[in-house]
Amino acid sequence: MFKKRNLLLAVLLLAAFALVACQPEVVTETITEQVEVTRVVTETVVEEGAAVEVTRIVTEEVVVEVPAEEPMMEMPVTLNWNFGTEPPTADPSLSTDTTSVDLVGNMFVGLTKFDPVSGEVSPYLATDWSVSEDGTVYTFNLRDDIAWVNYNPVTGETTQVTDADGNPRFVNAHDVVYGVKRTVDPNTASDYAYVLYIIKNAEAINGGSEEVTLDDLGVVAVDDYTVEFTLENPAGFFPAIAGMWVANPMPQWAIEENDSKWTEAGLIVTNGPYVMESWIHGGELNLVKNPLWVNADDVQIERIEGVMITEASTSFAMYENNELDTTGVPTTEIDRVKADPVLSADFYSAPVPCTYYYGFTNNKPPFDDVRVRTAFSEAIDRQSLIDNVTKGGQTPATSFAPPGIFGAPAPGTVGIGYDPDAAVAALESYLDEKGLTREDMTAMDITLMHNTSEGHALIAAAIQQMWKDVLGIDVRVENQEWAVYLQTIKNTTPLEEMPHIWRLGWCADYPDENNWIHEVFNANAGANRLRREPSQFDELTAQAGQEQDPAVRAELYAEAERILAVDEAAYAPIYHYTTVNVTKPWLTRNFPPLGANDFYNWTIDMDAKLEAQGN
Amino acid sequence: MINYIIRRLLGFIPVLFGITLFTFVLVRAIPGGPFESEKGLPPQVEANRMAQYHLDWPMSKQFISYLFGDDIVAIVTGDEAARDGTSRGLIRGDFGLSTKYRNQTVTDIIKVALPTSAQLGIMSLLLALFIGVPMGTLAALKQNSWIDYTSTFAAVIFMSIPNIVLAPVLIWILALKLNWLPVAGWGAKPPFFLGIFPPPSSLNKEYFQHAVMPVFALGTGSAAVIARLTRASLLQVIREDYIRTARAKGLTERVVIVIHALKNSLIPVITILGPLFAALVTGTFIVEQFFGINGLGKHFVQSVGNRDYTLLMGVTLLYSLFLVGSNLLVDIAYGWLDPRIRFD
Repeated sequence: MFKKRNLLLAVLLLAAFALVACQPEVVTETITEQVEVTRVVTETVVEEGAAVEVTRIVTEEVVVEVPAEEPMMEMPVTLNWNFGTEPPTADPSLSTDTTSVDLVGNMFVGLTKFDPVSGEVSPYLATDWSVSEDGTVYTFNLRDDIAWVNYNPVTGETTQVTDADGNPRFVNAHDVVYGVKRTVDPNTASDYAYVLYIIKNAEAINGGSEEVTLDDLGVVAVDDYTVEFTLENPAGFFPAIAGMWVANPMPQWAIEENDSKWTEAGLIVTNGPYVMESWIHGGELNLVKNPLWVNADDVQIERIEGVMITEASTSFAMYENNELDTTGVPTTEIDRVKADPVLSADFYSAPVPCTYYYGFTNNKPPFDDVRVRTAFSEAIDRQSLIDNVTKGGQTPATSFAPPGIFGAPAPGTVGIGYDPDAAVAALESYLDEKGLTREDMTAMDITLMHNTSEGHALIAAAIQQMWKDVLGIDVRVENQEWAVYLQTIKNTTPLEEMPHIWRLGWCADYPDENNWIHEVFNANAGANRLRREPSQFDELTAQAGQEQDPAVRAELYAEAERILAVDEAAYAPIYHYTTVNVTKPWLTRNFPPLGANDFYNWTIDMDAKLEAQGN
Repeated sequence: MINYIIRRLLGFIPVLFGITLFTFVLVRAIPGGPFESEKGLPPQVEANRMAQYHLDWPMSKQFISYLFGDDIVAIVTGDEAARDGTSRGLIRGDFGLSTKYRNQTVTDIIKVALPTSAQLGIMSLLLALFIGVPMGTLAALKQNSWIDYTSTFAAVIFMSIPNIVLAPVLIWILALKLNWLPVAGWGAKPPFFLGIFPPPSSLNKEYFQHAVMPVFALGTGSAAVIARLTRASLLQVIREDYIRTARAKGLTERVVIVIHALKNSLIPVITILGPLFAALVTGTFIVEQFFGINGLGKHFVQSVGNRDYTLLMGVTLLYSLFLVGSNLLVDIAYGWLDPRIRFD
């Protein structure tokens, strides 16, 4: 009997669940209320024996039915955005990836910013700046009207934060000093602290030096609205660095109060165009316009509803269903999008400052000979690869830094491109000298390695075929899971385990050649995965970083690019990336080549959007 | 019975300890670490981050810290500096701080993701049972009839279509072409009712619209397995002597099948229900990925790629806990289904 009762109970519970489940979402009830209506009545009155028509106004009570709905709310101008993944953090000191940077860039101000169209460094929190004659001291004057704000999820209000004495807080020079020190502090363990190593003592402090402390860091608040940076050595690119998120002003009191939880919705204190409304980790993150923002009137989009859909095909389906206003296009869909009359109008491929390249292990035979490296680089038909494999309208690369980076050579002016005859000539010169044949080369088991990914595999297969067709050499393609791969291609890996050729990409942190050819390839500064011996190239990039005259800097970098790509052929640049997007006609957006997507500059025609959604 | 359950629960301790130790060592044995990046961290920065997660300690010390907390490490090893660490230890319910999602603890992540996966999993399991058991029973009773063949055919189809194919096809038909359902997402958000269930206010049409496709994708595969098992098992049971006895007693065919045959034939079904429950409730990668559901499934896969040691440990232990727990329930259910099984 006991068992049966249990079973009955279970059935009842299930039924209850089903009943609850069946309840309709909104009960559209109608309320009957009495309303006074005034109307014009025309009636015929018999007056003194004669019928006269009179018109008069009467007021009477009638019963009307009105739906029990709230008064029609004006729909806020809303952007439906896919972050693509959970932002690993919203903390400016800790951000390294594009998703976190999107978030930080819309909630915080930097000293400077990159103009989203021209890509040039322009004033933001700093109104202007000056540099000392020796180029090592930068002084930034700050504006004094940027409020520190906090969004209250309960009341839905954004209010200015006050200090202990009840005075409203504005962003000042001390907040900038705190932010910079926090990033450099080894206890913060910031991945991007190295970007600030140009500041005096930063590298030593971040390394946990016992001799210098955070007080010795080359950043001071001269007064409340003037901040001064002292650098290790002159650096013409410093204004760009100063605008990066890791050097943002940060709210010391809020961070100390809530520790690692300070970036949660409701607790986070920000100073940018948008505030965080809610953040459900892994699911959705909504931003709303900061009404106290200095240029709030210019911000048209009032609300950003952000989802975190990882799967590209799902994100694209949501776009087609009008659930997203803009999204990336999966490679498999590019052909269909281009052929579709509606989607092709939404399609836009914008350059991104990233470069895809194959590195050569410069001390591993036969790639220890420049002729072999040249031959392998010249045998890659980059345009054909772009047209047939990657399909995103990328730019063929012959040098490292892409257009838009200060000091980058114009595409095709420096470096070596596809030249099968020259490739064969270079290879044969090498073979003749060494007394080798092509079969001997193939027998050397030349290995091309990439990290596991469908896209990289397709590119590798295409280039493997080009090498076979042009040079007549078989190359073996291998792949490894990302983290394993990064271990493999370190320059500490024993040479015999190191692949001859390996794939990597590089994206700009700040738009200056220093961040490219110097930080990546300088044998003394970077990881030196190419395993080059230091040469004139390494002197040039170091010298260029310290040079004050922009024209001279650009010349030095162009020469360095030429040495690395042509004289040494130390690596094979393949293409400069693009982002392949579709955008609904009602959204006007930018494609900032660097830094955060600037939602505050975008606009939406809300009527058109609602119409398309069928509301 | 009570003794049996207590004995089993005590038995969990060495099992879970073994899994913890084994996983702990294994994840650290994979080449590459949590702080590898394309840019390559400067050695100082990497050292700072390793120190933050105690990865600069010898593995035994790390394990003590993970299991018992940093204060115990200080007592055991005499390293007073260890007290500055943040780990309170697994035994105090602290799964640690994620290495990838830097401001979140593993507990935070699980609290948000597990309930969503559990709602999806439970609904899929119910769907699987409501389709699978009747379909298998009918197929067995009408063996070699068109019903049997149709059910076998359907089962084979649903077993062999992988979700990676089914999910986009469902989206394409039901969301894009017919416009009946939203493409992706889940209708309930935290805070969850009782920590797991959707808040009653969100149990609306929208909630179930979001659930239809993922529940169908997840549930049909399991329903097919359950149907095949039920059929095979029931076919065997109805040939047993005690069924003949029941018929000989003059019981109606309905009573014979429902009370006597079906109950016993459910033993293999219940057996797979244990692992199936654990797997469905803790989330499935593909379905959650395609339907944009913020569940736990992605963490099983991505935490490996990210080398997020703490998160990977957390989800593995959680899954183990569900597995041993549901297997215990299965064992208890055996006793109820089959009187020959005794817990002594």
